[in-house]
Amino acid sequence: MRVVGVDGDYPVEQPGLVFGATEIGNDWSSARTVLLEAFRLTQQTVLAGEPVVYVVSNDDLLGRNGPGSAAVAAGLLSAARTAGIELAKTPVSINVLAIDDGVTIEQVKHWVLALLAGQGPQGNLMHLGPSHLGKTLS
Amino acid sequence: MKKTVLVTGAAGGIGRAICRRLGGEGWVLVPTDLSPELAGVVGELEEEGVAAHPVEANLATDEALADLAAQLADLPPLELIVNNAGITRDARLVNLKEEDVAAVLDVNLGAPFRLIAHFAPRMETGSIVNIASRAYLGNFGQFNYSMSKGGLVGMTRAYALALAPRIRVNAIAPGLISTEMSMAIPQDVREKMVAAIPLGRMGDAAEVADLVAYLAGPGYITGEVIVIGGGRSLSR
Repeated sequence: MRVVGVDGDYPVEQPGLVFGATEIGNDWSSARTVLLEAFRLTQQTVLAGEPVVYVVSNDDLLGRNGPGSAAVAAGLLSAARTAGIELAKTPVSINVLAIDDGVTIEQVKHWVLALLAGQGPQGNLMHLGPSHLGKTLS
Repeated sequence: MKKTVLVTGAAGGIGRAICRRLGGEGWVLVPTDLSPELAGVVGELEEEGVAAHPVEANLATDEALADLAAQLADLPPLELIVNNAGITRDARLVNLKEEDVAAVLDVNLGAPFRLIAHFAPRMETGSIVNIASRAYLGNFGQFNYSMSKGGLVGMTRAYALALAPRIRVNAIAPGLISTEMSMAIPQDVREKMVAAIPLGRMGDAAEVADLVAYLAGPGYITGEVIVIGGGRSLSR
């Protein structure tokens, strides 16, 4: 397993990509760098027939931390939806986990591993924490 | 009092319709585009009695933004930006080239990102409308385009919060619109696409322009993305 930008002790022998983008600078150059890295790693992982999970911040999806981090979080979500459509007839999954401030590393790991297990979710956004409730749909 | 609108991607089908609509409402038009076809668009507008101050430039550079700012200095206050410029470089994710991801991100997301950062501090009040795409919800063969338009939607939310209450910022996500770009799709493919649209037709660029004009006016909407797609977001 390849784990980028996410803390935690993940089982390296398990296939897949965990791509975290929760601490992004608010200039275009930073956002561009992260999105291009996400593309490169996602393509490599999908070509290897392995699953992908993007980890983003709920606050970023709602634009609360500035334009750079919002562009990355929402851009990854849209990219995952398109990849999910393209991968719909394969066993390879790609999903997005959006986390609230304050969730624990163990909570994130639990749900990342569940999404990597690929028991049906495809191109989905899963929220960890309640901060999205009553807010705009991402 | 006269006020100025900046429209990027003005030489394309939707850009032209936006210019025509806003020009007809009395806005001072600053249409921009990389394409030399911009001159033809300006000619059409002038025939309709609408004056324009065209800027043929790549707004992805700091120099071009500075030049544009200098030209705007002689015009009435800038109160509306329409980020409409966009390109596609379609391929399935597994076949996509990195340079095509970078190109689409730079034009569709980087340019409006930098344009707003440059000009919003100079606007006393007004509105920004970002032309996204229904592809932000996902669309086969458009990983890079979806990423760019989703990013634009996210950026819209962030700027809406950052610039409130002075400036409202919204996004429009068009579906299949009748333009030169969509008419280049093979007819049999296009017919299948139309068959999946509950309203049974492609949208018209003028209908997108109507929505831009609505969001340009005073209102209570900010940080939203409005899909104009004939119901395609619901059908199979």
